[in-house]
Amino acid sequence: MNVLLAVLWKDLVSEWRSRDRLIAMLVFSLLVVLVFHFALPGGATPRNAQHAPGLLWIAFVFSALLGLGRAFQIELENDALAILALAPADRGWVFLGKALANLVILSLVQAVVASVFAIVFELPILAVAAPLAGVVLLGSLGLCAVGTFFSAMSVRTRFSEMMLPVLVIPPLVPVLSAAVSATAELLRGGEVTFSSVQLLVVADLIYWIVGFVLFEYVLDE
Amino acid sequence: MSAPAIRARGLEKRFGRAVALRRIDLEIAPGTRLAVLGPNGAGKSTLLRLVAGLARPSAGSLEIAGVVAGKPAARAQIGLIAHATFLYPQLTARENLLFAGRLHGVADPGARADALLEESDLTHVAHRAAGAFSRGMAQRLAIARGLVHDPSVVLLDEPFTGLDRSAAQKLSERLAGLHAAPRTQIVVTHDLGRVAQLADRALLLVAGRIARELRGEELETPALERAWAEVTEGPL
Repeated sequence: MNVLLAVLWKDLVSEWRSRDRLIAMLVFSLLVVLVFHFALPGGATPRNAQHAPGLLWIAFVFSALLGLGRAFQIELENDALAILALAPADRGWVFLGKALANLVILSLVQAVVASVFAIVFELPILAVAAPLAGVVLLGSLGLCAVGTFFSAMSVRTRFSEMMLPVLVIPPLVPVLSAAVSATAELLRGGEVTFSSVQLLVVADLIYWIVGFVLFEYVLDE
Repeated sequence: MSAPAIRARGLEKRFGRAVALRRIDLEIAPGTRLAVLGPNGAGKSTLLRLVAGLARPSAGSLEIAGVVAGKPAARAQIGLIAHATFLYPQLTARENLLFAGRLHGVADPGARADALLEESDLTHVAHRAAGAFSRGMAQRLAIARGLVHDPSVVLLDEPFTGLDRSAAQKLSERLAGLHAAPRTQIVVTHDLGRVAQLADRALLLVAGRIARELRGEELETPALERAWAEVTEGPL
């Protein structure tokens, strides 16, 4: 637990001082919205609101990939990854600390991006703010667990920026499909089906447990 | 009788087809200061990283004070100091030490950080970002970070790299001072001139094997240079 809190504190303080990852993720997400505007027939307007849930999650995934790619790059400066690997505890705690820090940073970006989507597509997100936040949190938990794990695995490879999306997206398919359908249900004014939530919870549990257990080997040289 | 600080039996490390270390047998008593010497690619840093638990052996066994290397209880005894500082540039000097202390479960990391900053003559820059430090100051902070949990085994991987003469001399004195506490030290260096000051035993590694073991007067520079030339079949 000491290790989890230490890594979480270190990552958030470092990010607060530089803010480069947060700003890059925000700007990139907003650029993705701009691209949607030009890609959709009729533009990103209320007429295309039926596409909003899928597009929202595309923006979330793209910004997450950008941020997650950087999560372990900062550990390579001055070879600090060795310090995390030397912590005298199960290295799974390092994984939890890094993944939670990524979740906090991603959540800040998601709050801004969701607000922009709500304005552009005239989505009624205030009416469903609490359940929508729950769905986004469940989807992001899976995203950050898988992303943190593969970010650590790929950071020492020659093409880490290319490797990360290739490694992260396939295992996220069940999480993304459940998150998109749950978001669509909420934005249509309905209720989230139990099966979507069940799939999100089960996938999240699997990813966090597997990440915790296997991280011991990921930090080996 | 207490367990050796480090014990290796038939230790091997391979990276694909390349063999970095071949059948290393080694026993180091607690409090020993060992220098590991050898040409580039001899396996010196690999040996250090195996002892630290950052890599796993391909064959053989390696124990730190009777615990299998790499286990959390073995990692708790290791302090690693290298030419890379392992510091976070956005954090201040004190925050870097606080982080290291918390990672290692130090009881009062704040007090420990303050004590180490004072020992390292860095109190006046305690709240300055480590990224703004000169190479010499960063190396002093890196040593403090490596000692934050009072490790019984200190590993030094070419710590003089990138330091000017004055900073290297100060570092040398600081490292000699570490021996005041009963610590085992292993230093990897290319600087044969400092071996007699830093070590009381040396290994000459060539192509992943221990080619020669040296002690006492054999650690003086001329004797070391002769031994080097014999095992590498050429002068420095």
